[in-house]
Amino acid sequence: MRRADQVAGIVLLLSSLGFAAGALQHAYWGPGGPGAAFLPFWLGVTMALLAGGLAVGATRARDPGPGWLPTRRGLWRLGVVLAATVVFVALLRVVGMLPGTVLFLLVLLRGLEGYRWSVALGVALAVAGVNYLVFTAWLRVPFPVGVLGL
Amino acid sequence: MDLFQNLALGFGVALTPFNLVMAAAGVFLGTLIGALPGVGPASGVALLLPLTFGMPPASGIILLASIYAGSMYGGTITSVLINTPGESASVVTCIDGYQMALQGRAGPALGVAAIGSFVAGTFGVVLLMLMSPLLARWALSFGPPETFALMLLGLTTVTGLTGGHALKGYISMVLGLMLSMVGFDIVSGEARYAFGIPEMMDGLDFVPVAIGLFGLGEVLAGAEAAREMTMLRGRYRLRDVMLSAADWVRSRWAIARGTVLGFFIGVLPGAGPTIASFLAYTLEKKISRRPEEFGRGAIEGVAGPESANNAASAGAMVPMLTLGIPGSATTAVMLGGLMMWGLRPGPLLFEKNPDFVWGLVASLYIANMLLLALNIGFIPLFVRALRVPYPILMTLIIVFCITGAYAQNNKVWDVGQMLVFGVVGYVMRKLHYSPAALVLALVLGPLAERALRQSLILSDAGLLIFFTRPIAAALTLVALAAVAVPVVRSVRQALAARRAPVPVAAPPGD
Repeated sequence: MRRADQVAGIVLLLSSLGFAAGALQHAYWGPGGPGAAFLPFWLGVTMALLAGGLAVGATRARDPGPGWLPTRRGLWRLGVVLAATVVFVALLRVVGMLPGTVLFLLVLLRGLEGYRWSVALGVALAVAGVNYLVFTAWLRVPFPVGVLGL
Repeated sequence: MDLFQNLALGFGVALTPFNLVMAAAGVFLGTLIGALPGVGPASGVALLLPLTFGMPPASGIILLASIYAGSMYGGTITSVLINTPGESASVVTCIDGYQMALQGRAGPALGVAAIGSFVAGTFGVVLLMLMSPLLARWALSFGPPETFALMLLGLTTVTGLTGGHALKGYISMVLGLMLSMVGFDIVSGEARYAFGIPEMMDGLDFVPVAIGLFGLGEVLAGAEAAREMTMLRGRYRLRDVMLSAADWVRSRWAIARGTVLGFFIGVLPGAGPTIASFLAYTLEKKISRRPEEFGRGAIEGVAGPESANNAASAGAMVPMLTLGIPGSATTAVMLGGLMMWGLRPGPLLFEKNPDFVWGLVASLYIANMLLLALNIGFIPLFVRALRVPYPILMTLIIVFCITGAYAQNNKVWDVGQMLVFGVVGYVMRKLHYSPAALVLALVLGPLAERALRQSLILSDAGLLIFFTRPIAAALTLVALAAVAVPVVRSVRQALAARRAPVPVAAPPGD
C-alpha cells in the first residue's frame, strides 16, 4: 500500500500541475469577476498539495501497510473479466448488443467459470432476452445492430 | 398549503397504478440488491437509473427511493444467514445476527430487523415530512455565498464517507470537482479540458460515471475472488419470524433509540446509514445491562442498528431535497438523477414541484408497509435468490452496466466512459479512496462553481464575503472545522507513532 500511495501521489501531483497550467489557457479574472480559469486553477493547486502530502506521508511511513495487489489467480480472473468487457464494448457496433451479450456471457460463464454449456447458454439467452424486453421493447432504446442484422 | 393538503396531494400521486407498481418493484428489487453481496444500494440505484429515463420524475424518484429503502431491509438477510453483509449498513448486524442464527434463532433476528426497519422507516418519513418544509423555507433566504458555504460544508464532510482515510477522502473529492470542470464554462462558454473531443464539450455524463464507479468497480473488486457462500439452513415461515414477548421487551427501546439516533445521523451530510448503524450498536452495548451478551447473539444488537440504518436512509433525503446536498452515497446518485430529470434540488423544489416531493414522501409510507409484508412473509423467496452463484450475478451486473450506460444517450462513447470509471472505481476501492466522495463532488461541482463566482462578483472584499454574512460564516467555519479535525487528529497520531519505540524484529523461529 505504501508504494501504491507513493506512485498515486506522484501521478496525481504531476497531473494536477498540468491541470492548473491548463486552466491558465483561459481568463483567470475578467471585468465581471472570476473567469473560466479561477476555480480549476485553485483545484489543481489544492490537488497538488494533497497529492504531495500523500506521497511524502507514504515515503515517511515506517509500516508498509496492508497488501492490495490481487493474488496471481485473482489477477488472472480480473484480467479475463476486464479483457472480455473491453472486447465486448469495442466490438459493440460490429457484433451488435444482443449477440454480443450472448457471446460475452458464454466466454465468462463457460470459459472462466467452467459452467456446463447448457447452463452458460441458457443464462446468456435469458439475459439477452430480458435486456431486449426491458430496453428495446419497453424503453425503446435502439441497441447497436451488428453485421448479422441483430 | 398545509401539511395534510400536501400529504393528500402526495398520496394522490403515489397511489396511481403506475407509481404503485414502481414502489412495489422498487422494494422488491431493493431487497434483492440489499441481500446480494457485492451489490450495494448506491450501485443498485446507479444501475437502475437508466430505467427511469422515460418516466415522469415522480415515478422515477419513487422507484429509486423504494430501492434505497428496500436495500436497507435486504442487507440483513445476508448478514444473519451468511455472516456476509449485503451492503455496508448491515455490517454490524453480522455480529449478533449471525450468532442468533447459529443458536437457531435466525427467525427472530430477521423478524426484529423487519419490525425495527418498519418502525424506523415510517418514523423517519414522518420526521422527513415535518422537518423538510421548515428547512426548505429557511434555505430560501440563502444567497450565493450561503449556497456556496453549504456546498463546501457538504463536500468537506465527505470524509465521513471514507472510513477513516481523510486525506484520500479529500483527494477523491477534489478529483470529482476537477472532473466536473470538464466541458463548457457556464459564464464564458469556453470549452475546458475537452481536448477538442465533441463528446467532452458537454462535460462528463453523470450516469456512466456513477454506473462505472459503483456498479462495474464493485463487480471488478468481487471478480478477483471466486466467492463461495455457506448459508445456514432454517425455517423462515411467518410463525418462525414472529417475536416472543421476551424478545419484544428486550428490543423495543433499542428500536426507538436506533430510530431517533439514525434519523439525525442520516440528516448530517456525509454521515449516512452505515455510520448510523455502527453508532446505534455502540450505544446499545454501552447502555445495556447485559453488555457481555453483545457479540453472542443479543437481539438488541440487531434491533438498534437495523432501525438506525432505515431511519438514516429517510434522514439522508432531508438535505438532498431541501438543500441539494446528499446525506449518503446513494442519495448522491439520486441527486444526479434529479438533475438528469431536469429538476433543481434545493428549497425551491418544494414550491415548484410539490407533486414530486410529496409524492415521494407518500410513496415512502407505502414502501415501508410493502417492505414489512415482504420481509415477514417472503423471506424464503429472498433466501432462494441468495443461492444464485456469484459468477452468474457478476456477469449479469456487467451486462446491465453496459446496457444502462448506453441507454441514456444511445452512444458507445458513454459505455467507454463507464468502462474507464469502472477501472477507476476498482482502483479507488483497493487503495481506500472514496468513489462516493468523487460522485458527490462531480454532481455538486458545477453548482458550487456558479455560487462561488456569483459570490465573488457580489463581494467587494473577495473571499471575506463568506465570513461577513452570519449564515455563510457559520457554515464556512463548520466546513473548515470539518477539514481541520481529521488533519489535527492524523498529525497527532503521526507524532505519537514517532514517539513510540521502534519494534525489534523477532528472532527466527520465535
